[in-house]
This record gives sequence, structure tokens and C-alpha cells, in this order.
Amino acid sequence: MKVLAFSTAREIAGFAEVEIHVDPWDTPRTIVARVAPALAVGNLHAAVDYEHWEWDRPVGEATELVIFPPVSGG
Amino acid sequence: MEASVEFTTAPIVEPAVLKAGLETGAEVEFRGIVRQMEHGRPIAGLDYEAHIPMAERQIRRIISDLNASCPCHAVWFIHRLGWVPVGEASLYIRIHASHREPAFRFCMALIDELKKDVPIWKRALEGGN
Repeated sequence: MKVLAFSTAREIAGFAEVEIHVDPWDTPRTIVARVAPALAVGNLHAAVDYEHWEWDRPVGEATELVIFPPVSGG
Repeated sequence: MEASVEFTTAPIVEPAVLKAGLETGAEVEFRGIVRQMEHGRPIAGLDYEAHIPMAERQIRRIISDLNASCPCHAVWFIHRLGWVPVGEASLYIRIHASHREPAFRFCMALIDELKKDVPIWKRALEGGN
């Protein structure tokens, strides 16, 4: 799976993109704990294959996880 | 309904003014412009980033959903990314609808939803006067 981090999440995680093997029962929370253990997910959001996703919902066969702070477009 | 969704790192160029359909009775345009003050402090501009594929998908879904409650004929959406200096537009929206009410409501709701759910982030760079 490709894991992308944006904005302040990228700075804390220390990467913009990493590849990691995940199992279908992995969740965004378990994946982040492996790739960015310093990242506290409390104020962050997750998206899986372009859809907003709960931290404890399994990712199944998805190919992309995105972690990011609250959005601020416009 | 036609919808155009674009992200650009260059200054926003408004789409050519196309002849409105014969049933279009209202055209609403909105430009979001970077202000000099951010949280009470002067800034030089804003730096925007986005997860473009997800952002485009979300914007198109929002437009499709809004069309059910505020029927429109056409929507143009342009969001600038990267460095946007004070005084320049970061967002441009144009709506064509039969009447002014759905056009204004569509435009307002689109911006509201953009600020809630769409993966775009901005960061203020200090240094303004």
C-alpha cells in the first residue's frame, strides 16, 4: 500500500510517501503506528482510496492511505 | 449539468465567456482572494497544497449532490495551488442556472462543502506589510 502524508502530517511523519505491505485487516491506525510511530492521530484525518475513512476501519484491498490535518481550502 | 474542475499552480485565468444556454437566466461568479491579514497578523501570501485526485473526486461529488437541491446548468471550479500572494485569487467559481436563487445557493454551498471535506490545505507565510 502507498501511504501519503500531507501538510503538517507530512512534517511530523517525516515522509511524503512510503510503500508498505499491509494485511486486509490492518487499519489506518495500525498502519500509521508502523510507518510513523511519532504521529499522534488525534487531530488528523485518514482517507483510503480517495474516501474519508475511520481510523479503526480495516483497509481491505485498498491501495492508498492518506493522512492529513483538517482541511483548509478556499 | 456540465462541470469543469481544475487545479493550477499558475494565476487563475477565468474561462472564456461562453454563450449561456437559452434557459440560463443567472450567472454567478465568485473569486476567493488572499487577504493581507491572517489571524490578525500581516502575511505575504498563502501556500496551498492538495491531494489532487481525491480533491477532484470530492468536488465533483459535491457538485453532483448540490445539483439535486440547487439545479444548475453549468459549473466552473478552479483552485490555485502553490504560492498565492496577497491580492490574488486562490479560488474561482462560475455558476449558470435558470434563476438567481439556485445559482447563489449553489455557489455558497459549494464553498461551504469545500472548506469541510476537500483535501486542500493552506499555510500562511508571514512577511507582509
